[in-house]
Amino acid sequence: MLLVDIVLPGLVLGGMYALIALGLTLQYGVARIMNLSYGESLVAAAFGAFSLYSGLGLSPLAALLLAVPVAMVVNWLLYRFLLERLMRRSKDRGAQEIDSILVTFGVLFVIQGAMLVAFGGQYYSYSYLSIPLTIMGSTLAVNRLVALLFAALVGGAVYLALTRTRIGTAVRAIAVDANAARLVGIDVAALSGLAFAFGGGLVAVGGVLVSMFLTFNAAMGVIFTMKALVVVIMGGVGNVMGALVAGLLLGVVETAVARLVDPGLTLAATYALFLGVLLIRPTGLFGRAAS
Amino acid sequence: MLEVAALSHFYGKHQALADVALGIEQGEIVAILGANGAGKSTLLKSIAGLVRPAAGARIRFEGQSIAELPAHLIVERGIALVPEGRGVFGDLTVAENLQLGAYPARARAGEADRLAKILQLFPRLAERLPQAVRTMSGGEQQMVAIGRALMSNPLLLLLDEPSLGLSPLLSREVFRALTQIRGSGLSVLLVEQNARASLDIADRVYLIESGRNAGTGLASAMKNDPEIQRAYLGKARGASTPT
Repeated sequence: MLLVDIVLPGLVLGGMYALIALGLTLQYGVARIMNLSYGESLVAAAFGAFSLYSGLGLSPLAALLLAVPVAMVVNWLLYRFLLERLMRRSKDRGAQEIDSILVTFGVLFVIQGAMLVAFGGQYYSYSYLSIPLTIMGSTLAVNRLVALLFAALVGGAVYLALTRTRIGTAVRAIAVDANAARLVGIDVAALSGLAFAFGGGLVAVGGVLVSMFLTFNAAMGVIFTMKALVVVIMGGVGNVMGALVAGLLLGVVETAVARLVDPGLTLAATYALFLGVLLIRPTGLFGRAAS
Repeated sequence: MLEVAALSHFYGKHQALADVALGIEQGEIVAILGANGAGKSTLLKSIAGLVRPAAGARIRFEGQSIAELPAHLIVERGIALVPEGRGVFGDLTVAENLQLGAYPARARAGEADRLAKILQLFPRLAERLPQAVRTMSGGEQQMVAIGRALMSNPLLLLLDEPSLGLSPLLSREVFRALTQIRGSGLSVLLVEQNARASLDIADRVYLIESGRNAGTGLASAMKNDPEIQRAYLGKARGASTPT
């Protein structure tokens, strides 16, 4: 059935987008770091899962237990010892944004260079749970379903943590107004570091899950950075629900265009959707009206 | 409970505050009067830790120096600022704003009781707990801001222009709430353009001109001082005879 053929893989792809956009929301919306090396972290996690699977026979799902804590620690260190100092030095929001872009642009090349040295430029993939499964007349590999399931679990848990706990509400409060957050006793620097680390953890989850069913190489991080950025802006910067909805929407639209029109047009569809949303709602689907 | 001395602050080369001193005792409502740009907001922000005072400033609260503390730790000591323009989280709901008010560790015990009291003080908020704050009127947002500050279980409440932009009716409601708050033993330091309303509820007054202390006294005496009436109560001079 054509509809299921589009919706199911669309949701798998969209689930990945939603997950990595959630991570970027934490890094950009809360910690105010426009992280250009975001996609490289994702590809690094994919290579990590690949190495553990092909070298040690460790399942990618088990690799999550290693990749996520490592990514969180690395991201926290990056924030604490490099980015936070830079943020404190910059005079205003605009200068902060430019500084963070310049620094993470450098980090991008460091990560990418390290991956090129270790793995070269060729494409990688591995076969894990690539068992075809037929659902309502549509065939899908089990690994994609597992990836969707994990993305839903992780994304749902993060969503609940951000909306239902006091510390999660505090994290969102920083995204809304960092100065006001200080007035209610929130240690903005410490909590921003934590949000940045969690964002790094989420992108590592995304990388491991994506590696189960996509081919990847050391140079393709920028695609994920752009997609995550498109989704975050489309959903409304700093808005958790917006990132989730826009991610799923983008996944389904891209799959529909690839299936119904031409696979070469997916990127064009991405930006057409992006432009369309921004023309109608300049602050994003769930963004607040400009004040 | 709060002693401020030798407080100076510079914005670049412009000196916003010059050797300001003031003190507040427990349970007092103290008003600061002064023209726009006299440095009143900067004074409150310095106490709350949002701006760093120049070297040599002494700010002591409950006997301990707080001049070097970051803002989030000053809240933890029991000082809550309701900033000019309210500083509420517009995208969050009323309930979330109030919950965040109780973010400091000092506010966790008795949180539910305090919330109940605040909703009693501002019944409008009780009806609008799930509403996003940015969709509310200025007066209601001010109630959220004051309620959020009270949620932090403060000993001293700093209010910067609480009636700015409010209708006279809502202004009165806010001031009525302040007198009720005083009954609970809380101290209040108030900066307010509505000099008459602040003189009505304050115990003592400090006058600030061009960033310097320009006088202090009991509010009751100031209200009847012709100099004060001319300088701060403006055209109301003729109408200020008690009725």
